[in-house]
Amino acid sequence: MNRRSWLTIATFVKLSTKRFFRDRLAIFFTVIFPLIFLFVFGSINSGGNSDISFKVAVINQSESSFAKDYASKLDKDKVFEVNKEINSLDSAKELMNRGELDAAVILPGDFGNNSDQGFPKGEVNVYYTQNNEQAGRTISTVLEGQLKEINSSLVQAQTPFTIKSQQTNDRSLTAFDYTFAGLIGFAIIGLGVFGPVNVFPELKKQGILRRLHTTPLKVWQYFVANALSQTIVGLMTLSILFIVSILVFDLKVVGNLFELALFIAISIISILGIGLAVGGWASNERQAAPLSNIIVFPMIFLSGTFFPRFLMPEWLQQISTFLPLTPVIDGIRLITTEGKHLLDIGPQVGLILAWTVVIYIIAFRVFKWE
Amino acid sequence: MAASIVEVRDLRKRYGNEDVVKGISFSVKKGEIFGILGPNGAGKTTTLEMIETMRPIDGGTVTVDGIDVARNSDKIKYLIGIQPQSPAFQDKTTLKELLEMFAAAYGEKIDTTKFLNDVDLSEKAGSFIDQLSGGQKQRFSIAAALVHNPKVFFMDEPTTGLDPQARRNLWELVQGIRDRGITVVLTTHYMDEAELLCDRVAIMDRGEIIIINSPKNLVKQLLDRGFKKAQHVEQADLEDVFIDLTGKQLRD
Repeated sequence: MNRRSWLTIATFVKLSTKRFFRDRLAIFFTVIFPLIFLFVFGSINSGGNSDISFKVAVINQSESSFAKDYASKLDKDKVFEVNKEINSLDSAKELMNRGELDAAVILPGDFGNNSDQGFPKGEVNVYYTQNNEQAGRTISTVLEGQLKEINSSLVQAQTPFTIKSQQTNDRSLTAFDYTFAGLIGFAIIGLGVFGPVNVFPELKKQGILRRLHTTPLKVWQYFVANALSQTIVGLMTLSILFIVSILVFDLKVVGNLFELALFIAISIISILGIGLAVGGWASNERQAAPLSNIIVFPMIFLSGTFFPRFLMPEWLQQISTFLPLTPVIDGIRLITTEGKHLLDIGPQVGLILAWTVVIYIIAFRVFKWE
Repeated sequence: MAASIVEVRDLRKRYGNEDVVKGISFSVKKGEIFGILGPNGAGKTTTLEMIETMRPIDGGTVTVDGIDVARNSDKIKYLIGIQPQSPAFQDKTTLKELLEMFAAAYGEKIDTTKFLNDVDLSEKAGSFIDQLSGGQKQRFSIAAALVHNPKVFFMDEPTTGLDPQARRNLWELVQGIRDRGITVVLTTHYMDEAELLCDRVAIMDRGEIIIINSPKNLVKQLLDRGFKKAQHVEQADLEDVFIDLTGKQLRD
């Protein structure tokens, strides 16, 4: 590249980066929009992982003081979220059928009455629906464990086998750490595809690209300038997402930040090629919008943006492995959560580079100035 | 006789079944203002765009400064400046930045202040394009077209839609550009503009050039054929009244 070309590209990069920060709509879609998603997913995920709770109804039909104590103990237990408005099995069944309740715990009339031996006894009845068998069994096991403790305090018995569970001090991945890579992938799509797809047809409609074409500016110079300025803009806006996630959602970035930035830069350039191809080909919005949706929506759903790919059937996983966005999301996840280096994620880097070559060849061929 | 800088020989353009430009030939002399006149749809813009490398040439040849347009479109772009019919520039970019950008497209770095000064827009350096009036936009478009100091300047209907003050101002600008040694080729359908501005004009209709000569000679030829206007010619017209009352001062 000669000195003149370098001046051309550097000037275009400088001016279009400047222009981005004057464009409120573009800032909304690249910064605010992913931030909203971040907060939605962040608040869904941060609650669920550490304390799983079951929604139960406790129906106490007994008058005994033991039954009262036991019911209030269940109420305080963190494992159970007790719905206090329910006081009959019928209303509990109604809620269970709608999936709003996991189980009904019934303390029968004679529960907690003293037995002949002089200590309280009784049977706890747990009701759950067919579809909620797993939750029902877990609840029964938890209750059984609690009753065992009570039993052993009432009746001295030998316990040759016991369990002792301990919490390690290591911090494991939260669901948020896992979802975060998908959100970054989503933001890259917004930046790289929806940006150019909205901008280019408008530039063509007004004859702005045509005017540029009267100058000796080359398509490749224009592409390189676009790629560089989008990378600068992308790294700046994505750092905002990282900072918010670290501060608010306790995101833990294990990997090397420089390698992460480099990997994201390559990813932005690759995905931007899709936007350049669609936006550069389309003469107007009516061509650009449907084509970009056809390409982007399957990628958003299949590449692990909003839910992990391991939940998909095997054959779908195999197909989605090769979509352009999949190695991007997988790579970001491997670097941030597992601390992998660029050399470790060779398959992802290789796949991204291969796609970049293919996408840019297409973009270059279909580009139209008007 | 001055050397010619633009040579057009048997130039043709076809859209579907229609011949839009039917084998026209003309040459533009170095340093003149050359006008292509004609009603809408005469083929003026198509002709201009073929010379400017913006449309493929279907037949014939065009050379600018001795260089073949069809074969060396890249070289031609450095030689010519273009003002399109409706100039458009990207938004959220200041005039200063736009000039910087256009110069960079030619691989050049320029003193943007000087170029804005030339078209009387120095105080608008920090403005965006949508903050300009029609006349200011046209003037800015001229500055943007000249950033690389071209030899020939093409203007497509430069004064369409402008008020009388802005038109007069633009004429002065065009004459100034010619005085700097840049050859100007413009299209128009305003006869007063052509008469006042152009050294020579080509009158075009239905894809053909009917006649080429200086405006003075064309009028003389018509009078020699015994033409008389039906109406008595006043020494002033309504535009003179308008300019007299509102002044020549630019309004934007």
